[in-house]
Amino acid sequence: MVGFLGPNGAGKSTALYMASRLVRPSSGTIKIFGHDVWRDFKNAIRHVGTMVEMPSFYEYLSARKNLELIARLRGNSASSKIDEILERMRLFERRNDKVATYSHGMKQRLGLGMTLIGKPKLLILDEPTNGMDPEGTREILSFLREKIKNHGLAVFISSHLLYEVEEYCDRVFVINHGSLITSGKVREILAPHENVLQVTFHDKAVDTDYLLNEDGIELVESLSNNSVVITLKNRDAVWLNKLLLDRGYHVSALTPKQKTLKEFFLSVTGDENNA
Amino acid sequence: MPNMVLPLLHNEITKMTRTKLPYFGLFSVFLICLLLSFTTTAWNDSDTLNAWGYVGLCMQCVFTDVGLIFIAVFCAMLIAEETGFGTARVVLSSPVLRWEFYTAKVLIGLLYMVVMFATALLLSILLGSLKFQFGNVADSAGIIYGAKEVLGNFLLALFLDMLPMSALVMYGVFISAVTKRSGQAIGLVIGSIILIETTKNFINIGPYVFTTYRGFSWSIFHYIAQGVDYQWFPEIWKMIVVSLIYCFVIFTAGLIIFAKRDLNG
Repeated sequence: MVGFLGPNGAGKSTALYMASRLVRPSSGTIKIFGHDVWRDFKNAIRHVGTMVEMPSFYEYLSARKNLELIARLRGNSASSKIDEILERMRLFERRNDKVATYSHGMKQRLGLGMTLIGKPKLLILDEPTNGMDPEGTREILSFLREKIKNHGLAVFISSHLLYEVEEYCDRVFVINHGSLITSGKVREILAPHENVLQVTFHDKAVDTDYLLNEDGIELVESLSNNSVVITLKNRDAVWLNKLLLDRGYHVSALTPKQKTLKEFFLSVTGDENNA
Repeated sequence: MPNMVLPLLHNEITKMTRTKLPYFGLFSVFLICLLLSFTTTAWNDSDTLNAWGYVGLCMQCVFTDVGLIFIAVFCAMLIAEETGFGTARVVLSSPVLRWEFYTAKVLIGLLYMVVMFATALLLSILLGSLKFQFGNVADSAGIIYGAKEVLGNFLLALFLDMLPMSALVMYGVFISAVTKRSGQAIGLVIGSIILIETTKNFINIGPYVFTTYRGFSWSIFHYIAQGVDYQWFPEIWKMIVVSLIYCFVIFTAGLIIFAKRDLNG
């Protein structure tokens, strides 16, 4: 699963619209599975399920009928497949109700179900969990995870929920002002800092000014009464631990500080408001 | 990859049968035919009145006003409704090309027009045969036109009337392709038709506007049904040429505009 991040107005949705041939790019080409979207659209989109922005439906038709219409265009209208999708999206009981009577979450699930018609190899999803409750969000993302693991599906997901991307994605791409800023594996991006350590003391608060006077310490940030984050300069955790013990501090925990995607995002976009 | 026009048309038929507007149109056709079955005798010379005259009058009345409005509104909603609600995005991010989508919309518009014609025809023939007689057109002096000649002219009028109505379908779909909401499209298509109809004769463009020829062939057929002298040519050539040019130009323009349009929100 690949996350597609960027501040508001960065061009995420526009990029996905262009990939779906709904907006013409001013320059450049977009290829999916080696096929140019603008020259060979049918082959490019054949194995792709897309959901850009809010999913849309024929609200006067039932969920089943909506799926049938799309299935007909994707050449896969077997009713057993449609029922399977409805079942998986927990909509089977209400499959014959008009979509107009569905809640926001149900519509979101139906939209995702639509993308699964025709055995796609790639899903392009724009904020697929937008407006869903935490349980529904977790369910959808776990479902996608399972599809990736067992069916070899690739998912390209645009989301502003960084924790979602952090938890479920393998890679991320970050764009701003229509350009790719950076990309990388989530595991590498979130690898713990080697020289930034979070220290928790057992019994008393630490004197940060005192620590700053030490040669190997670059920065000390206080997190709480008995917890600080220390940035080392050319030193390691063993050295710090010894120093603190020598100074009479009882250290109860000393761990490399875990990076977050939010920190990474802010560092590359410099956009506090849209984190 | 297979051509998607037929699957799209299949989808359009599914949607058409599940919305109310097409049925309102057909019901209005029924009402007009029914009303005319009571009022035709007051309008026509009772000596020459026959079922042909009644059917011709029904067709003319239906496709001059009410039928025209329903066909125009139906076509104006076809694409605008889908772009407004976002369903066009869903369809067009499937393996469907813009020209296939647009062509399917034109075909469903034409199909609706044919259904309207068929409904008006069946109802008027049914009601006409209950009150009047099909057969030769005659007066007290004898047969004026034989039944075969009348039937031939009737079929010709039917075919010819479909030409300006097809141009209307193209026009409705064109307006639908250049607007973003169905309300906008309906307002524009009805407003522009009213504007054209009220101004065309002041600026002497009447013969060059396709709407001028709506019901035109039926008015000629009506003469035949009344046993009056008739002449199809040369006016009918003008009607054929104008209607076909409008069909081609409007279809092409609408298709090009729609193919180049961005569909983001």
